[in-house]
Formats: sequence, structure tokens, C-alpha cells
Amino acid sequence: MVLETEPIPFWPWLTGTAHEWWQVLLGLALLGLGLGLVVRAVRYGPLDAVRTVSRGVWAAIVDLARISPRRVLALAWLARREALHRWVLMAFVLFSLLLLFGAWFLDELSNDPSRLYLAFVLEMSRGLLLLLALLLSVASIPADLAQRTIYTVVTKPVRASELVLGRLLGFWMVGTAMLVMFGIVGYVVVMRGLTHAHEILPQHVSNLSESSGDAGLTGRTETTRRHHHTFTFDGQGRGRTEPTQGHWHAVQVEGSGSSAKYTVGSPQGWLQARVPIWGKLHFKDRSGANAEKGVSVGEEWAYRSYIEGGTLATAIWRFDGLRAAEFPQGLPLELTIRVFRTYKGDIVSAVQGGLRLRNPETGVTSAERTFPAHEFTTDSLLIPTKLFDADGQPLELFRDLVTPSGAVEIELQCITPSQYFGMAQPDLYVRASDRSFTLNFVKCYLGVWLQMLVLTAVGVLFSTFLNLPVALMATIGTLLGGYRLDYIRELAAGRMVGGGPIEQIVRLFTGMNMTTKFEEGTQRTVMTMADDALRWLFQRLTHVLPDFGALSDTSFVADGFDIPAVRMLEHSVATLAFVVPVFVASYLLFRTREVAR
Amino acid sequence: MSDVVIETRNLSKVYRDFWGRQKVRALKALDLEVRRGEIFGLLGPNGSGKTTTMKLLLGLLFPTSGEALVLGKPATDVTKNERIGYLPEESYLYRFLNAEETLDFYGRLFDMPAHRRRRRAAELIDLVGLSGAKRRQLREYSKGMTRRLGLAQTLINDPELVMLDEPTSGLDPIGTREMKDLILDLKAQGKTVLLSSHQLADVEDVCDRIAILHLGELKELGRVDSLLKVQDELAIRCTGLNEAARQEISDVIRRHNGTLLAMESPTMTLEELFLKIVAESEAHPGRRVVGSHGS
Repeated sequence: MVLETEPIPFWPWLTGTAHEWWQVLLGLALLGLGLGLVVRAVRYGPLDAVRTVSRGVWAAIVDLARISPRRVLALAWLARREALHRWVLMAFVLFSLLLLFGAWFLDELSNDPSRLYLAFVLEMSRGLLLLLALLLSVASIPADLAQRTIYTVVTKPVRASELVLGRLLGFWMVGTAMLVMFGIVGYVVVMRGLTHAHEILPQHVSNLSESSGDAGLTGRTETTRRHHHTFTFDGQGRGRTEPTQGHWHAVQVEGSGSSAKYTVGSPQGWLQARVPIWGKLHFKDRSGANAEKGVSVGEEWAYRSYIEGGTLATAIWRFDGLRAAEFPQGLPLELTIRVFRTYKGDIVSAVQGGLRLRNPETGVTSAERTFPAHEFTTDSLLIPTKLFDADGQPLELFRDLVTPSGAVEIELQCITPSQYFGMAQPDLYVRASDRSFTLNFVKCYLGVWLQMLVLTAVGVLFSTFLNLPVALMATIGTLLGGYRLDYIRELAAGRMVGGGPIEQIVRLFTGMNMTTKFEEGTQRTVMTMADDALRWLFQRLTHVLPDFGALSDTSFVADGFDIPAVRMLEHSVATLAFVVPVFVASYLLFRTREVAR
Repeated sequence: MSDVVIETRNLSKVYRDFWGRQKVRALKALDLEVRRGEIFGLLGPNGSGKTTTMKLLLGLLFPTSGEALVLGKPATDVTKNERIGYLPEESYLYRFLNAEETLDFYGRLFDMPAHRRRRRAAELIDLVGLSGAKRRQLREYSKGMTRRLGLAQTLINDPELVMLDEPTSGLDPIGTREMKDLILDLKAQGKTVLLSSHQLADVEDVCDRIAILHLGELKELGRVDSLLKVQDELAIRCTGLNEAARQEISDVIRRHNGTLLAMESPTMTLEELFLKIVAESEAHPGRRVVGSHGS
């Protein structure tokens, strides 16, 4: 699984985030107050401005403090009825149709159909739910204003805060109900889509003893869903198939010869929720000196670093807090390696790797265990509790190689000369345990739910002071900006190759190379100043745009990893921290709007 | 308890464009008082400022200058709405709800408990004659039915002040009669009614006092009976005179022992008054005509 940013523990994250949150909030509040004062002062004079703004602030505090739950629930109920009347049924029908017919086009020959199915269902749920949230939240207030139905509401003792909160709650309730339905339907589709059985025909089974002298049987299953498995039975008539397309089946035979009855179990090995323990990765270069990174093989995406085969270049993961009681059978490792070949060589044979365990305190190192590097698949390795060192001396895993505090280093090298292994920190981990896939599926939908909450709040915010088309554009812009926040951060930091946005536009229209420097002069000065101004704006934007991409946990579920509880907690807190100020801003903006204008 | 329910002081409204430039001066320095228990009518042709006045009083618009007090509170204070009922010109109701749901929803906005909402909704549905259609969605209602339900939502909170914008609009003659009876009934219950209407006959029938607006200015204000009195004419109604006496009626009534039944100023209709004021206002823009017709 790709994890480009390292997870931060909750309390350090909360401290840093809360600090930034206060700063942004204070800045926005001061900006709002300042703007209000200036506009009022220009129209009615400074005294009136101070009086009106101070009265407005006090009234806002009173309004927010005296929210009536009954009125809010009434307005939420109305929003829910309105939503049902408008879009909801259409969205559900669309979702069902897309699931029914979209699944036909999923590639059954994929290496990992479970990933494909899960990604399809989860992304579809997310896309449709966000589309629904967008339409509902943006259209509601403008439609109410256009049809003037709002006249009969705001002439009741309804505060602007109640009106905004009622709408938010109503749409959130509708979104939640839709998400539950999407989740149930999606879960059924995934389960039904992946469940299959194979048949074993006697003519495709042969005795192992004929070829190898072992007791037992070997053979292959019949093809179902465009794949089949080879299998082996032990002497007791039990066995399992070889993994194909990321799963395997338990197989059993009763009887023998023509009366043998073969049973193939349900698919295993996909729809998992692995709980990994991540280590810290550092490198040694080809001469054996410590290095922060490996080498670049020229890929634009610098997520993985590479180590050269046949040299001292090593990737070293340090793990902490491993306890012997938790791993009585040994240390289960899972490894995903990228291979970069500098020459074609024997393309059929895998590039060989070597793996050692080292005690970071004593320096005791296990003998190298070689393995063939399978690209695009995750290899499972079990490090046994009893090992040997390079001299053949026996070692106990948790006595000799793991420190009392639970630290161990795992060193990985590429053995085949002139070939390269590529890795990132999350590519090797200790598989601590497995959790419920169903629960993980639910947790992923919780992430989608948080995105829906945020988008609805943004939609309602814009609809309080913009007309429908402009509010729609602004909300879509926020959504796209939120998903490409990393890109905006790069722009804001001025790290883009080819300069800022204006410079890049000039390069685009003049056909100028990205690395060629502009000549000094007025044109360059103006361009740089404009880019600096835009960078300033982007920097501010990165503090207020919701990070929709970070709230998405689809890759966790699709890749078979448990979504960590701390990640969900951080996302929930971040959502709350975003939604509350957006609600207050929506209220203030709506309060200053003339409803009958 | 103050006797004045609505008070405007120098109330003005200027509509501006996006850039803050003045587009229309919709209301010019309106001074008005509506007293407790009276039926007050706002009259004026289209664009005269009567709807703007009503929206300013309801807090749907903010005044450019001046002040509007409703039930002793600023018009922008939402708590005043607890004692107000408002019927907009076209009953703007949610068409995906039925009558019961509509009234229940508005009752909840007044923070009314469920049992009180149910009881009040049933009473009002009965009052406006929609018992047979209370579970039909409003999209299936005729304009008259929607209007009647609009009136029901206006009264859901048993308001002290009822503001009606064109209350008889869309009603048939019987509906119009019922609406006028209801307005009089509200007055009998001690409620104050502010209404605006184009139906001059309706206003004449129910209003105690009226204000006539034109081009955003107050042109006339006073009691309906006083305003409609023609001050410079005298009409004498009498009976029991013979033919000879009729010949000399102007100077011999008393001498010929006739019975004088009435001696008073004749009245014109409200329609005649209204058209006269509009004509004068157009002939002399800006001139206030209050007091020239009555007090």
C-alpha cells in the first residue's frame, strides 16, 4: 500500500493541528470583522460601523447560544423531505444501476479482483454520495429563495443559526441514510462478486508419488471466473490450492480412485484487514555508508528509493516494541518489492534478494535468507523463532536478535548484480494480526461519511451568500482543491518545476522548455511578482481548504489493511474542527443577507 | 402594554446594484403608526412601496435609514415573530407536504409542543375548510385551497398581529367574503391586522384606517370614513314633502315642516379617492396630500 505521508500519533497531531486551527480561525475572524467595519464605515460612517458591528457580534453570540432544538429538528425534517423529493431516489437508482451493470466491465483476469471490486464499489459510493451532497447542499437555500418559500419560515421566530443548522442536519441525515444503503448494497455486491467455487474432476488429479515419490495427490481445479488453481493433497487428503488472483481455496478429498469425492472451500486470502507494524526505513549506499535515501532510477514519482544489486547497498527497517508473547510462531513479514532491471537478462527468473535480522544493540546478525523478488505481489515470509548466524551458530529470535525493548533491524539487499530493488517505508511490515474485514469496510464508509459532512457544510456555506450557479462552482472548486491539496501545497511552496502558475502558462504558450531560465527583464519581474502573489494566496488556501484526499481510506480497504483507529479519530476531530467554524460562518453570512432582495 | 403595535420612523429603503449604486428609492421617510386592535390597510399601485414596507416590518429587508418597531422590538429581531402571523401574497408553501404536515412544521417553528400542534392544526384545517383534503400534497391543491392553508399557517401561533399581503388574491367571491369575515373576526378577538391590497372594495369593507402610498411616499393616512367624506359638499336626505315643497327645497324645508332625515357630507367610494390621489400625486410629485381629504 502506498503511504506517502507518515502517520502521526494522536497527541502530537492534535497539538500541532489545534495551534494552526486557532491561528487560522483568529485570522479569519479578524478579517471578517475588519471587512464588516470598512464596508459599513464607507456607507454610514465610522460610528455607525462600530455600533452596528458590535451589536451584530453580540446578537450572533445570543443567536448561537439560544438555538432551539425543536426548531432545528423541524428544519432538518423539512430538509430531509425536500431531499427525498428532489434527488435521493434518483441517486439510489443510479447507484444500483451502476453497480449492476458496472460490475460487468470489471476485469476478471485482474491479478487482484478483490482490490478491483472493492475500489469500484467504494469509489462509486463516494462519488455518488458526494454528488448528492453537492446538489442538495448547494441548491436548497437558493431554491427556497427563488420560490420564496423561505418567507414563511423566516417570518417565524427562526434564527438564522437554526435555519443553517437545520439544513445541515437534514442533509447529513439524508447522506447518512444513503451511505448506509450504499454500504449494504456495496457489501453484498462485493461478496457475491467474489464468492465462487471450483470443481475438481478426477481426470485432472494424479498421485504425487508418480512424480516425486511423496504420498498424496496433485492436480488442478476446473476453470471458474476465468481462472483455475493447482493444488496438492497431503497424505490425509487435505490441502490447499496455490494462490491465484490473490486468493486460495482449502481442498479435501474423501475416498480414493473413481469413488473419490473432492471438496473445494470458499476463496480465502482476500477481503482481509491486516494490522501492520511499520518500521523506520533508512539506507546504506553501495559502499556501505549510511544514507537517508537510496538511488533514483529516474522515476518522476520519488516515493520509492532503489538499492543496487551485488553491492553493499542495503535497505534497513528498524522495528520497535515487538514482544515475544505476541509472536509465538515467529515474525510474520510481508514484503512488496519493486524491481528495476538495467539489463533484460533471464526475464523468467526472479531477481534474488537477501534478508537478514540484526540486533541494533549487540550487532548480532542472522544468516542471510534469500528470496526471489516477485514484482507487483506481496510476499509473505515467516521469520522462525530459531535461526542461525552466518557461522551456523543457533540464534533465538527474541533472545538474540530483538532487544529487550523490542527493537530489531531487518536488512534487505539485492543479490543479483546490476539489478535494483525499489522500496518505500510501508513496503515491509510485520503483520501483527488480522481484524474483521466487515468492520474495516464500515470504517472506510465512515471516512466517506466524513467527506460528505464536510462537503455539505461547504455547499451550505456558499449557498448562503451566492446564487446557485456560482455556489455550485465554488463548491466544486473547493472539492477539487481539497483533493489536490498536495499539489496546491507544492505550488504554494514554489517547488514546482517550471515555476509558478503564471510562469508555467507563459512556458505553455511560448513552447518554452520547463528548465530553461527566462531572461532578466520587465516580463520576468512582472511574472515573478504575479506568481509570488498567487503563492501567497495558495499558502492561505492550504490552511482553509478541507483535505478531502486525506479523509479517503479506500486504499486501506482495497489493499487489505486495517484502518487504524487513531487515523479515524484524527479525521473525525479534523472534520469537527472544520465543520463548526463553517457553520458559524454560514450563519453569519446568512444573517447579513436580505431574504427578500 | 403599549397601544402602538407598529411604528415606523423616517423609514427608507434604497435598492442598490452589485456595485452599491442606487437603483430604486423604494420607500421615502415613512412615518406610520398602527394601533392595537385596529385593521390597518396599506394601499398603493404597483411599485408604491407597500410590499417593501411590509417586508421591512417583517425583517425580510433591512432599512437603508430610519427605524421600524414591531410590537416594541426592532423589525430585525426574530423574537417579535413569536407574536406575528404573516400571510404572503402567494402563500409560498412547500408543495411536497400535505396540510397536516405543513401546519405541524410551522407549529414546530414556534416551538409548540406536539399535542398543542396537533390540536391547533386540526382546528385551523377545520376553520379554513380543508378537512377533506388534509392529507393531499399541496401540489394537488387549487390556488384557493393553497390560499386558505396559507391563512391557516398564519394563525398557527394565535398571533397578536396579523400581516396579510393581498389576502383576497386568488379567492372566489365566497372565499373573499369569508376572508373579510375572518379579518373582522380577528379584530373582534382583539388582534391587530395590517393588510395590503389592490382590492379597494375589500379594504373599504374591513379597514379602520388606511395609508395610501405612491412612488414610495405616504400620500394619505387616516380613518376610512373620514377620508371618504367630501368636505365641501352637503347632501340632504328628506321625506314627506309635497310637490311644491320639492320645488323650493333648498330654502323651505324647515318652513314647510318637513322631516329632516340627514344632513351630512356625501361620500365617494374608496376607489374614487384612490384614483384621485394617484392622479394628484402624478401631477405634483413629492407633494404630501395628507389631511386634504380627511383626518
